[in-house]
Parts: sequence; structure tokens; C-alpha cells
Amino acid sequence: MAAPSMAAALAASLPAPAAAPAPAAPVYEAIPPSMAKVIDIEAEIALQVVQLDGMVVSKILKHAREATSGTVHGLLLGLDLDGTLEVSNSFALPHHVSDEDDKSAKSSAKYQASMLRSLREVQADDSVVGFYQATSLGAFFNQNLVEIQAIHQDKLRHGGVVIVHDVSLTARGNASFRAFRLTPSFLDAYKKSNFSTTSLISHRLTFSAILEEIPLQVRVNPLLGSFLSKLTQSSPSPLPDPAPDATRTAVIPPTFSALDLRTSGLTRNLEQIIETVDNYKNEEGNVAFLQRQIARERLKAENYIQKRKEENMARAAQDLAPLPEEDVARLFKIPPEPSRLESMLLLGQIDAYAKNLETAASSGLIKMYSVRN
Amino acid sequence: MALGGSSAVHVQTSTVSAPTLPRQPSNVTVHPAALFSILDHYLRRSDEQPRVIGTLLGTRSPDGTVVHVRSSFAVLHSETDEQVAVDMEYHRTMYELHTRVTPKETIVGWYSTGSNLNTYSALIQNFYSQETAPQQAIHVALNTGAEEDTEAGVHAFVSSPVGVFPKPENCIFTPVPVRLKFDEAERSGLDLLSQTSTSPNSTSPQPVTTLANLDAALTSVSQMIDRVLVYVRRVLAGEIPGDKALGRYLMDTLAISAVGEKGSEDKAFNAALQDTLMISYLANLLRSQAEVSSRLALVA
Repeated sequence: MAAPSMAAALAASLPAPAAAPAPAAPVYEAIPPSMAKVIDIEAEIALQVVQLDGMVVSKILKHAREATSGTVHGLLLGLDLDGTLEVSNSFALPHHVSDEDDKSAKSSAKYQASMLRSLREVQADDSVVGFYQATSLGAFFNQNLVEIQAIHQDKLRHGGVVIVHDVSLTARGNASFRAFRLTPSFLDAYKKSNFSTTSLISHRLTFSAILEEIPLQVRVNPLLGSFLSKLTQSSPSPLPDPAPDATRTAVIPPTFSALDLRTSGLTRNLEQIIETVDNYKNEEGNVAFLQRQIARERLKAENYIQKRKEENMARAAQDLAPLPEEDVARLFKIPPEPSRLESMLLLGQIDAYAKNLETAASSGLIKMYSVRN
Repeated sequence: MALGGSSAVHVQTSTVSAPTLPRQPSNVTVHPAALFSILDHYLRRSDEQPRVIGTLLGTRSPDGTVVHVRSSFAVLHSETDEQVAVDMEYHRTMYELHTRVTPKETIVGWYSTGSNLNTYSALIQNFYSQETAPQQAIHVALNTGAEEDTEAGVHAFVSSPVGVFPKPENCIFTPVPVRLKFDEAERSGLDLLSQTSTSPNSTSPQPVTTLANLDAALTSVSQMIDRVLVYVRRVLAGEIPGDKALGRYLMDTLAISAVGEKGSEDKAFNAALQDTLMISYLANLLRSQAEVSSRLALVA
């Protein structure tokens, strides 16, 4: 299983929470009064918004684009100030092919540690604030994400965030980034690793209550902004007698990919939905099987107790000492109640796929009618 | 090496006697992610550093004439009047770290900010040439436009030794054309950034819904049509002389949009409409089923 060891690697590489605010300089400068309100060493100001730097956007895009496998991960670095979590840098994590052993987890931890050290040397931000994940078609609900984020929320200042990037939406002309964190009730259930039905009821957990979304902003620093405006600016072509569509050139010409009429990707989306529904059905079958087994064992145990009671009553009538009753638990092993986490996540995935499909279909409809008129 | 040579005469296919020098790179493409990290590095420099340098990673085309710069990382260096020092160990460590994520990318050269080439540039170029040997190292000079009298831009150079006795501190930098290159799928990300840079505060809220995105695109198209319309009206009214090239272009565009017969189009439209409605219905059904199922899990 890839997930636990990777999660362990992450955990090993993260700094202890006490070390996260690092004003370790021997000389303390007085904090100016204007800033006193916004600096919180104890991380008391709640996160309001996540701010994503332009460079991080381009880095995540590139990493997601080049990925050979379905999902890619990377760490986000930055700082938080007065309720705004500024993500100013990021780096990709190596893709794990088969890391069932401890070794690759360790090397991954080593990779992160030395990357952080190297970044600090060139004055880049080096405090981990979360991680990003790039998926396609909105299927970001999975065990892996939940596990890593659960560790982060324990260890990082403000609990860290996960930024989800959707590759398929981006290809359709709408670069999509969203920030999430786990809800307290889910985290509570996760820590107790109790996803039985009663626990779900008491925590009021459905798939929509696993993650809460944090508002996200994209920010472009002025230098990058001026550079970009230079790139998008159109300038007269240097050629003496250019063709009509080449009279003005720009490094980044305007695009209209949002107006593309093709509905590519819908088939793939449908396939994935079918696959997930199949998985869900399997999972439900497993849960039902386990529940039947539990019921059967319970029935057996109850029958046994009943029998023993009758026997005891008969013995009491004959003035004999009653037989002991407490060895039931030893005789019948009632299996633990199955965890509903997997099926809940699968439901969440189905929902996300369907939502994606719905948006694609509705925008497709609009485009069709606009072409028609 | 004669491997399984059965004939009496063995002709050696020589690779040594005629050293085919790798051809000089004649084209350089740069990925936006590499450019943006150079800009970020420039922002984070310390006050006494006039310029920053770093390593460029990327790929080369098989014949070595085109160099694709895919990413970059910062390298520590110091320049004084007497000497220049580059932290080689740091460079090696970072390169090893990068190859773990993107094994295909190799060192292709180095970047610096500012466009002044000097003796130190030649020395650093010499160092990077050893790293990229036998291929040639390229040098990308990025002008941030932050200093006075300079214009933002990117230039790429290859070097060749000069003089009777080539010395590392002397070389000729030959400019090569450089282009920005990115995948079409990354396009929308760049659009997002350039839109953001023009909005107030240089921030934009996320996520943008697909419909809002579509709306923006349609609005911009309709504005363009309006502009063309105004231009055409003015030409017709004789206010300004018409541009023949522009007129031909407009005619071509209109000709394209008028293609297609009425009957067959209707049929295809209806079929596509039914498909889309069906998908929309299916998606809604799935969502409500998933919701019901998760609620049922709570009651059971």
C-alpha cells in the first residue's frame, strides 16, 4: 500500500509544531505597534483565505502536465499573516512506484529535508504549509489525501491546507485551484479510527462533511505582473509585409479555448463514473457481508446464553450450583464493525465526478444554443 | 570492437577518428515555470547582489539544435571586483534533488538577471560548459525591466572560445532566438495569471466556475465584434480609408462561419442536444443517489 509509508515519510520530515514559528534570533527586535496585531506566534488568528503565488500556479501546472501517473503531489511553502496563508513556493515530490518498504519512505523524507535546507540557503520560504494534489475530473477524494492531510493538521501551524488542482478543467480553459482542509468532526472520527455506523451518526458525517473549503486567491506580484503584461502585449510584426493574421504578434496571443465546442473528455468521465460505481458496489457488498456475519455470530452467542440460562434454571430447580455464564465472549468472536470510510470516500468521488459531468454538460448546452442562434 | 565479425576483412566503423561535434543550439524555448522562478529568485535576492544566477534544466532535441528549458533553480554566487564564486556543491545537490522528480531533465545551461555580459559571465559559462559537456551550455539573460532604462525581455546566448589560446575568461556570446513554449493545456493557467495581474490588488478569487469563464470569453468576443463593426461602419461612411488586407481577412472569416447546410445541421444539433441532456440528467441522478445513499448510512 503506497499511502501509509508516504504519509509516514511526510510526518518524519515535518518540523515539530513548536519549532514552526522560528524567531530563534538572539536579538529580539521590538515588533512595531502596527504589526503587533497581525503577528501571532501561537497561531491564534484563524485562517480566512489562502493566497497562491503566480509562480506556484505555474509550477503546479507544469508538474501536473508532465505527470505520467494519475495524481501528483508536492509540498507548499509559505507564511501566514493576519489570517491570510501566503503560499509563495512549492516543490514536487517524487512519484512512488512501489514503496511498500520503509526505505523509500525514508529517502522521501530525506529528499524533503534536503530540499527545504537548500531552499533556505537561497532565501526562499522554507516552512511547509500544506501540500497540493493534481487530479483529473474532480476525483480528489481518496485515502491518500485524507491520510496526509490528517498528519498535516496535527503537525503544521494552522493545520495546513491541501490545494487541489484539476487537470481536466484546466485543459478545458478554466484553470482550477481549490483549497481544502479536513473538518473537525471528521478529524475526530479519524483520530479514533472509528468509522462504524454509530460513529458516523454521532459525528453527522457524510461525504460532503469530510472537507471544508477555504477561499483561495491567486496573487501575482508586481514584477511578475509587469513581465506578463509585456508578454501579452501585442506589437507590430517585424516582417515588412505580413499576412493579415500576423500583422500584430504577441508572445502570448489571446485564446478562446473556453469556447471550444467539442465535448471531449465526457466519455472518459462517464467511464470513470461507472468504474467508481462498480467499486462502490463491491465495497457495499463487503460491508453487507461483514454485517451479516456479525449478525450470525451475535445470534449464535445469544442462543448459547439462552440455552445456558434454561439449563441453569433447570439446575436451580434441582438445587444444583449454576453453570458459569461469562465465557461467551471467549467462545464467540464477534468481528468488529466494518469501517465505512472507504464507501464514504467512494460516494464522495461519485458525487465529484457527477458534478463535473453536470457542469460540462450545462456549459455544453449553452455553447450549443449560442452557436445555433 | 569487432563483435561477431565473420568476414575476413573487418572495417571498423569509427566513432573516434571523426569526432562529430554536437551541433550548436540554434533555438531556445523557455517554459513559463522556469521564467517565473527566475523572477521570484530576483525578488528574493539580498540588497548587495546586483544580479542572481541559477541553473537551467531541460531537454534537447535529438540533433541538439533546439534546447527546451523546462525549469530552473537558484544557485548561490557572489561577485566582487576581484573574483566570482559559484556554490558548486549546492548546484550539484539541487540537481540531484530535481532529477528525482523529473529524471528526463538535464542541465542545459544557466541564467542570470540583467543583460550585461562580462568576464564573470564567461567564467560561469565555462563552468557550466563542463557540466553540460559534450553539449554546449546555453546562457539565458533575463531582463526584469525593474532597473531604469531597461526593457523587460529574455535573451539566449551560446558561446564560443575566442583567441589563439582559448582562455576561460574570454569568449564570444552569440545570441540565439528564444521563444516562450508551453503546453496548450497549461494555457488557461497563464490566462488566469495575466488576468489576475490586471485586476486590482493583483489578486483574483478562486475557483472560477465554468459558466463564469464562458461568460467572460463570450463577452470578450462580442466586444471584438463590436469593434470590427464600428470599424466597418466608419469605412463605409468614408471616415477612414479601408485596409484591403483587413477586408479580405474579414471576408474569409465570414465565409467560414456560413458553411453548412440547414437540414443536416438541424439533425446533428438535435442529436447532440439529446445526448447532452441525457448526460446532464444522468449526472443529476447520480448525485442525488449518492446523497441519499450517504444519508441512509447514517440512519441504518
